[in-house]
Amino acid sequence: MKKSWLKLIAPLFAIALIGAACGGSDSDSESSSSSDTESSTETETTEAPETEDTVLEAGTEAEGDVDTEVEAVVEESSYGGTVIIGLEAEATGLRPWEDGCSSPCLVMMKAMIDTMVERRADGTYGPWLAKSWSSNEGYTEWTFELQEGVLFHNGYSFNAKTLVDMFELQKVGAISAGVVSAAKVGEVVAVDNLTVKYVLTGAHSAFPSFLYGVGLGGVFEPNAANEDFDGFSMNPIGTGPFMMDKRDLDNETIVVRNPNYWMSDEDGNQLPYLDSVQFRPIPDEGTRLDSLLSGTTSMMQTLRQGTIRDARAAKADGADITLLEFQGNNVGGGQYNNNNPPLDDVRVRKGLTQMNNQDAVIEALGGTGISLPGTQWFSPDSPWYSEKVAAAWPKFDFDAGKALIEEYVNDPDRSDGRDVGDNIEVELSCPPDPTLIAAIQVIEQLWSATGMIDVNVTNYDQQTHINYALGAPPDFMGEHGAHCWRWSSNDDPSTFLNTQFAPPTLGIAAAYGLDGIFSPINFPNYFDIEMFGWLVAAISTDVFEERYALYEMVMMRLARDVPVWYSGHTATLLAAESNILGVNGWLLPDGSLGAGFPSAVARWGQVFIDN
Amino acid sequence: MSDSETVIQTGKSSSKRNGFLTAISEMPVMVKLALFWLVFIVTAAIYAQIDLLLNQALPLQDPFHQPFLFGDASPVEGPSADHVLGTDILSRDNLSRLIHGAWVSLIVAVTVVAFGIVFGGFIGAFVGYVRGRSETVVMAGLDVVLAFPPLVLLLALVSIYKVRNLTLIALVFGVLSIPTYVRIARASTLGIASREFIQAAEAIGTKRRSILFREIIPNIMPALLAYALISAGFVIVIEGTLSYLGLSVQIPQPTWGNMINEGRRDIRRTILPIFWPGLFLTLTVVSLNMLGDWVQQRVAVRSSAL
Repeated sequence: MKKSWLKLIAPLFAIALIGAACGGSDSDSESSSSSDTESSTETETTEAPETEDTVLEAGTEAEGDVDTEVEAVVEESSYGGTVIIGLEAEATGLRPWEDGCSSPCLVMMKAMIDTMVERRADGTYGPWLAKSWSSNEGYTEWTFELQEGVLFHNGYSFNAKTLVDMFELQKVGAISAGVVSAAKVGEVVAVDNLTVKYVLTGAHSAFPSFLYGVGLGGVFEPNAANEDFDGFSMNPIGTGPFMMDKRDLDNETIVVRNPNYWMSDEDGNQLPYLDSVQFRPIPDEGTRLDSLLSGTTSMMQTLRQGTIRDARAAKADGADITLLEFQGNNVGGGQYNNNNPPLDDVRVRKGLTQMNNQDAVIEALGGTGISLPGTQWFSPDSPWYSEKVAAAWPKFDFDAGKALIEEYVNDPDRSDGRDVGDNIEVELSCPPDPTLIAAIQVIEQLWSATGMIDVNVTNYDQQTHINYALGAPPDFMGEHGAHCWRWSSNDDPSTFLNTQFAPPTLGIAAAYGLDGIFSPINFPNYFDIEMFGWLVAAISTDVFEERYALYEMVMMRLARDVPVWYSGHTATLLAAESNILGVNGWLLPDGSLGAGFPSAVARWGQVFIDN
Repeated sequence: MSDSETVIQTGKSSSKRNGFLTAISEMPVMVKLALFWLVFIVTAAIYAQIDLLLNQALPLQDPFHQPFLFGDASPVEGPSADHVLGTDILSRDNLSRLIHGAWVSLIVAVTVVAFGIVFGGFIGAFVGYVRGRSETVVMAGLDVVLAFPPLVLLLALVSIYKVRNLTLIALVFGVLSIPTYVRIARASTLGIASREFIQAAEAIGTKRRSILFREIIPNIMPALLAYALISAGFVIVIEGTLSYLGLSVQIPQPTWGNMINEGRRDIRRTILPIFWPGLFLTLTVVSLNMLGDWVQQRVAVRSSAL
């Protein structure tokens, strides 16, 4: 009797451990499931041509449906009112040179911080705080004429010396130092009170595009920044249309009209129109949309395809809202660590990519009918987009992909050192976002279905995910395998491609005679000396056709070597009550039409409420 | 034999089988339903594992298979003959995933109970009976463990090992459960150790080890088991929370928590992918709590008779 409890506990304990051991190995359960899946897949692959035919050709489906056209406002503007916008996250800081600023942060920062240049609807760059600019023949010196009569929120004047003083902080800023390096800025010189010269250490024909970003182009008051370096993060002093009134982190940030704003509308009316803007971080996507629909907020932003779908449904159900959708160059997908076997072999990278059903991944992301399949770093509405590249990109073809993997697996000289016939092992990692988790499981299922790939799925928080790909000094090679990532932006291609595909280590740079030129953010660790030459050539000319041809060659090389893969382009949305106007169709000082609302970032100076 | 043992054995005096049936017959209807649900969940989870071991030879759908990749089903389908509880956002069968998800909850709960009772129960009984310096050292050490945030420990382990399999998760939960069981076992032991039958056993020269294993531990077991049932429910909720946050076992292994997390993307379209795992989780936890409460009441009655 007295041992009866032991009889009870012993099996309990044994079951627990055996159960944990049996069920604990994910690979075990996956392998048993994958064998079944494989047969299913093989059955299905007999229908593969049909499946392939249904793959969307980038640019042929939904184009126009996914973008809201940027057009001038026709309604008469009026003063007053407050817009309350729900943001997907709080801004960690509002120092342009120091704090990393993503879309929700930019929505806030753009209310207070003007940039030197702005982007037009046609993709070119136009005047903002810089009235005009020119360069020398070699594109190593850029001279900018500045707007007159511009005052900071604290009453200081904006002039050439401001930019010289700003540069001292930008050279060492956590964010701007990298931009300074990429833009090759060596020195900023005040030619006269309203003329400034950026002296570069090398040619850069697209240099003004760097002054569009807040990292280098965001104009802040340097005295205030030097006096209270940390405090500036909570109370930024710029020349923007609004001034900080209240900053309650994670709850509410309120900015109020700048009475001394330098800009007027076409009729000479002082801008801005609104009395104030309130920013409320609401991280949950559904709650943010509900807040707009219930009138708690009057505007919201999202970068999630599923929320765009829900907002469309709400509007179709009669919600009185305007949807401002934008699909830029930014494209989801991932990268292969080209430094680590077996991903160092192009057959493996291309094979994995061909087995990746883009349509299914986009469906898993909730983006069907919203997000265009990516084939390159440019969306179909970008001037840099290439049909030739779109045709060359390896599309979903399960059998072809499987054949490539099989070829590698049976290669006696396979790079991973395993025996012929052994499975390859691939780590597939995404941050633990629900939509990404769904997408990663689609890819895992397809890769596992070959029976030749042991897929190790992992999820780390966003910061760990990035650090894992970044790696540690001095080489920054990263230990990742197949790693979810986003690519590209609407900036000039040189701003992201040149750093992304520079030599990943000093050793590789030295091997190619490029001493000292390396990029820790070459996350795929992919380097092609010929391609790098094209990237350098593209910033040595400002002839669009020449640059286009060079970037097309770069994209063709990526389509050949497949260091990265794509899912869909990132659609973004600003949804607002229908009487909020001017988010779409704002104008530059020269009267040209602005870029609208790229990446769900609004420009607040010309927004008004139509009463 | 001590008086207390006589009392505790009263219900088993005729036969264990009759005692078990008597206990069930004495249960209120709701507790019977709770027991039925738990038996169903355990049986279903074991069935699912056998199915996996047999390479899915049993009539249960593959919880990982995504038919929409091959045009066989659509994501987020409602209930149908093929999918009794519908499909999830990747067109996988909800019922199959719920049953496989139950295995994770079951293993975590059983591991915690096993670790708690075996290690926590023994350590608590030992220090509660022996007392002295060992008690001071052990209890101080456990206070340190209790002060350590379990989530931080789990995150640290994940960062170090870069894996989140069921073994690791279950072991972490199991180890973290020990201090609470030690406290309960120690407290119960302190009460029992001062009883006359223990003093009598010591007076007649019974070895302390024998007293510990034959007198004390059997008498603290009912209290530990009652707590174990309630803590198992709590642990299932915690595991579900971690899964929801993406910190429990690695996808694509289904768990009720990660099913809820994945389903929330489409909550405006249909609540079913969230409803089912939520219902299973709730029913299981409520059942464990009801059963635990019932056991606790019976233990309290018997203890009062000591």
